[in-house]
Amino acid sequence: MATVFLVAHDIVAHIASGCDVAQNSRNWQGFFCEMFCMRIDFLKRPSRSAARRRIGSSSSCQVIVVLLLAGIGSALGEQSWGAEPLQSVAAANVGTVRGTVAYMADPAYPWRLGRYYIKNPKTGLLAEAVVAISSRGLKANDNHEPRTVVVDQKDFQFTPETTAIRAGDHVRFLNSDNHTHNVKTADPKFSFNVTMPVGSEHTETFTTASGAGRPYQIDCVFHSAMRAWIFVFDHPWFQVTPIDGSFELKNVPAGEYRLEIDHPAGRLRHRQTIQVVAGKTLDVSVKLHPNTDKP
Amino acid sequence: MTRPPNRRAALKQTALSTVGALTWLSHASTTFAQNANEGELVPFLDEPRTPANRLDWEVMDSWLTPKDQVFSVQHYGVPEFNYEDYRLEIGGMVAQPKQLTVADLKALPKNEVVMTLECAGNGSNPGFKNAVCNNRWGGALLAPILKECGIDPAVTEVVFFGEDKQEEVLRPGTKRELKVEVPFGRSMSLADAMRPDLLLAYERNGQPIEHRNGAPIRLIVPGWYGVANVKWLTRIEFRDRRYMGRYMARDYVTVRGERLGDEIVYVESSVTRIQLKSVVARVTRQPTIKDKVPVKAFGVAWDDGTGIAKVEVRVDDGPWQAAVLQEEPRSKYAWTFYSIDLGQLSPGEHTIVSRAINAHGRIQPTADEDEIALKKTYWEAYEQWPRKFSLEA
Repeated sequence: MATVFLVAHDIVAHIASGCDVAQNSRNWQGFFCEMFCMRIDFLKRPSRSAARRRIGSSSSCQVIVVLLLAGIGSALGEQSWGAEPLQSVAAANVGTVRGTVAYMADPAYPWRLGRYYIKNPKTGLLAEAVVAISSRGLKANDNHEPRTVVVDQKDFQFTPETTAIRAGDHVRFLNSDNHTHNVKTADPKFSFNVTMPVGSEHTETFTTASGAGRPYQIDCVFHSAMRAWIFVFDHPWFQVTPIDGSFELKNVPAGEYRLEIDHPAGRLRHRQTIQVVAGKTLDVSVKLHPNTDKP
Repeated sequence: MTRPPNRRAALKQTALSTVGALTWLSHASTTFAQNANEGELVPFLDEPRTPANRLDWEVMDSWLTPKDQVFSVQHYGVPEFNYEDYRLEIGGMVAQPKQLTVADLKALPKNEVVMTLECAGNGSNPGFKNAVCNNRWGGALLAPILKECGIDPAVTEVVFFGEDKQEEVLRPGTKRELKVEVPFGRSMSLADAMRPDLLLAYERNGQPIEHRNGAPIRLIVPGWYGVANVKWLTRIEFRDRRYMGRYMARDYVTVRGERLGDEIVYVESSVTRIQLKSVVARVTRQPTIKDKVPVKAFGVAWDDGTGIAKVEVRVDDGPWQAAVLQEEPRSKYAWTFYSIDLGQLSPGEHTIVSRAINAHGRIQPTADEDEIALKKTYWEAYEQWPRKFSLEA
């Protein structure tokens, strides 16, 4: 039902934006089906063909009509046509995922470098963990405006060490040290190798999402101890935890997802299924164990 | 042709080896380092995070370096090969070449040596100051095996080749450019190779050597920088002329200016023996007492086996103060732990530095002294290492 509401919204928004529906769709029914299926794909519902079958065989025509009208009204009431439609439109169909990431120390698996990421060993709250949601084909068609984030090379380390961005965002590498550095990634999807003289900068655009599992690892060929990771997502539902280990993912479309938590420096990985309910906040507190939560 | 080594000769050498002296080391207390860890750690300022597989100075409490803090550096990558097919060839100008398996070497008496192994580039920049470790290596003595080969009297040099190979380009960009695939190699004089404490090692700290650290067989040269300790050793060759491989003749060559009257003459020398060096590993503090902070420091000193006689520590522009050297465990080629009670310091930022003095009275130089200031290459970075820290009231 929520999908029908969204489809109605998209149709109206599409027309209002000046798009020639007739040229872009074989007919109204086809356009309707395409919009419907896009929403279905996004929300991780049945496949496109299954959705078409549902449309054709639906017996709840009256309910659909009501929802279509409601969706049209919603779309007309918006001030920003086409801008971030998924987040702004579906206020009633989104939820929040928030919580904390902590590290469970185990004497059998000592993590001596944990002191860089855990301020209070008693709570184990973990900084620099990447928290994201995923589901098959998850993408946000929200006309994301690319932004630029800075990764500096200072005191012979990449700062920040772990970065998470949207596909299409730019990373501006700096060298604030008094030594020549380099930025390099040998990822098969996207590679570069650039020498960074003192005071120089270099910008790269990451167009291909890596997801949570395979971040782009950045090295300096001159200083093997230097390492950074850049996670690239196709959607906005991700975050790098600050020193208190907290995260909050807002405007998550209702549905079932895989919550993915990765800490590349600690070689920690956690996956769990979550159910996001519209209008609700899901609290998730994750305690990573060095033995079980590993890649 | 495979010929088993002479067991009698090997056993004789064993009697002269360091095994007996090392037995007690395995039981020696390491509480000194742990005691020095008392109090709250005061992190150094402007220091990069310690990466994996590197010595973690601030938390070190073990005389023998744990496996996950042992560095590995290689120039031709980590080679992949089947240990079952492994053979160590010994040839060149010898009457009786040998081909030995790991089992052949393990059948010989096992000798051990505890030694500090430092990468020759360690300390060359702030991001590379923890490529050093201290381990007990176990294996067969090299000298008796070489002697059995019947060394030609004309031999002057012994070359050690690894399994790792790579294409090298000579005279790049010229008409005479030459590309050749070569194995990694390092050489030393026959006299150095015949020292009684070199090992063909297959164990580290009682465990098989990790592949990244040179398994199945690694040459161990106590007192020499890491590059001489050839990993994945596959061939030993006797020669009557100098070996000039890249990492012997072009890289790992220290270029240093030496004063000759008013003139500075630059001299190139091979990186071989470990230089005298010390570092402050960590600073710890106690709660503030009447606006002053009780502070202790803990550190490490090492050299090529000459012997550490003294370590002194200095805070800011204060006087050099003698540190307490850990009495045990000690071993000729292994590092020495030291600690010092610095008394009560004022809150705020401070600089701490140490200097080692060896048995011959040589003092670890500062970065401003000629032997460091006129050194144009980054290898052998053994200057004093000042570190900054800040005390909160």
